[in-house]
Amino acid sequence: MFEMLSYDFMQRAFIAGLFIATLASISGTFVVLKRYSLMSETLAHSALVGVAIGLVAGYNPLWVAVVISILSAWLIEYLRSSFSIYSDAVLSIMLSGSLALAVIIVSLGGAFNNSLFSYLFGSILSVSNADVYTIVGFGSISLAFLLLFSKELYFIAYDEEVAKTSGIKVKFLNFLLVTVVAIIIALSIRVVGSLLIGALMVIPTVAALQYRVGFRNTMFIALFFALFSVIFGMSLSYYFSLPSGATIVLSVIAIFIISLLINKK
Amino acid sequence: MSLKSEIPIFEVKQLSFRVREQLILENVSFEIFSGEYIAIIGPNGGGKTTLIRLLLNLEKQTSGEIKIFGKKLKDFKEWYKIGYVPQRATLVDETFPATVEDIVKMGRVARRGIFAGMSSEDKAKVHDAMQKMDILDLKDKMVGTLSGGQRQRVMIARALASSPKILILDEPNTGVDMVSQQRFYGLLGKLNKEENITILFITHDIGVIADDIGRLFTINRKATICNDPKKLLSCDEVSDLYGIPAHSLANHKHEH
Ligand SMILES: Nc1ncnc2c1ncn2[C@@H]1O[C@H](COP(=O)(O)OP(=O)(O)OP(=O)(O)O)[C@@H](O)[C@H]1O
Ligand SMILES: [Mg+2]
Repeated sequence: MFEMLSYDFMQRAFIAGLFIATLASISGTFVVLKRYSLMSETLAHSALVGVAIGLVAGYNPLWVAVVISILSAWLIEYLRSSFSIYSDAVLSIMLSGSLALAVIIVSLGGAFNNSLFSYLFGSILSVSNADVYTIVGFGSISLAFLLLFSKELYFIAYDEEVAKTSGIKVKFLNFLLVTVVAIIIALSIRVVGSLLIGALMVIPTVAALQYRVGFRNTMFIALFFALFSVIFGMSLSYYFSLPSGATIVLSVIAIFIISLLINKK
Repeated sequence: MSLKSEIPIFEVKQLSFRVREQLILENVSFEIFSGEYIAIIGPNGGGKTTLIRLLLNLEKQTSGEIKIFGKKLKDFKEWYKIGYVPQRATLVDETFPATVEDIVKMGRVARRGIFAGMSSEDKAKVHDAMQKMDILDLKDKMVGTLSGGQRQRVMIARALASSPKILILDEPNTGVDMVSQQRFYGLLGKLNKEENITILFITHDIGVIADDIGRLFTINRKATICNDPKKLLSCDEVSDLYGIPAHSLANHKHEH
């Protein structure tokens, strides 16, 4: 099993993957509790627009994805807090709109190729040194934010209005949270792929919730599940030459099903 | 007692609230002073929750003025002085990952600042609040597994943990049986008398609490202040308000 770690590309993939598992599951706890699950899916598709622009224009796709993903997160949060439109409807519109836009950009630019495929479903072979630096750099800042404000974010997830009347800066923190989630999603598409990252963000927490434990323990369990699925999924990807996003997501779904069965009343 | 010389906790003048063409509150004025115990009653849709949301800056009034501890709402910073339990607070999502202690600790979050962990003072306040609400033995239980009456005490404990000067409760008794309600009102009365916490709460059970409360506000678009609730059942306003004879109000139980 450890033979695969003798390859440089696998070391890079593991560093990036474990970092992403940590980021996705911790931010995912807040995403799920705030019922933002569909939003993470939408942002993943917006990130794809960034990837498309990057591939066609020759910029680093990951960087462009981060920028586009943040912009659409702000747009969604603005629409959510300022207009009373059904927020899931807004999200589906933006989700399919982004995908359509990404496909058109890629088609016009003639970039429909394997490279695009790896951004859709993740690939352990394609993680470069620059990607690892980008992921660790942006990722550390995001993680620091999540941990610093975890008690406030938890309170807001529990009851936004009560948090506000206790003097917590709800609007500001909501914007920061969606910004961080946007960054994490954009960073993750290298390893997990933009069509599959939503699952890695949401499912570990949903699985952890089945154990009916307090906040801290729920977050730890989700983190553990995410780390485990990434290690297991990337190993499968290595041995069977499968897209890593797909193997990671199937691993985490298996954990979810087991958790459901164990905790069935 | 010369109430008028101190700064009221709330000072409300000519407050009106309109949504599109509908006038929901009209020219409401009152003051609430430290140490008071006030109940708000009124029919469904009368504007009780709206009034409280305006007081808490969750809604913006159409006209009129609200002062809180002598300050305009937008200049007020010391929100920990207010403990708020919203309507339907006890209907928490069954799967929300929170122990009783997790919830009560939220009461300290805004006072802790970003970098701070729980200080020994924070821990003491959380412990105190749980003790006062008699939920210490439930502290590691998941909130979703508690009964309505137990949850209600958890919500109040959260509000108490920030050491508030005033507790604002919106129909805290929804879905709670009679025995638990009696016990609950006992606890509220004790907080008011022994801790000098001002209490403002919305209820439909005026018959049950008439003995304890100091003043009664009735809200049905307009507000009427009944200063002697002992004579509650003869307050004509109350009868007019609900449009039924007052004596049947005494036994009125509101269940959802
Ligand atoms: N932001 C708003 N937009 C539209 N209508 C509103 C808004 N806020 C309040 N209302 C309306 O104002 C009226 C009063 O509502 P409110 O919730 O204050 O009543 P209430 O006295 O608390 O009733 P209940 O006893 O049922 O809790 C209702 O008709 C409600 O629909
Ligand atoms: Mg109400």
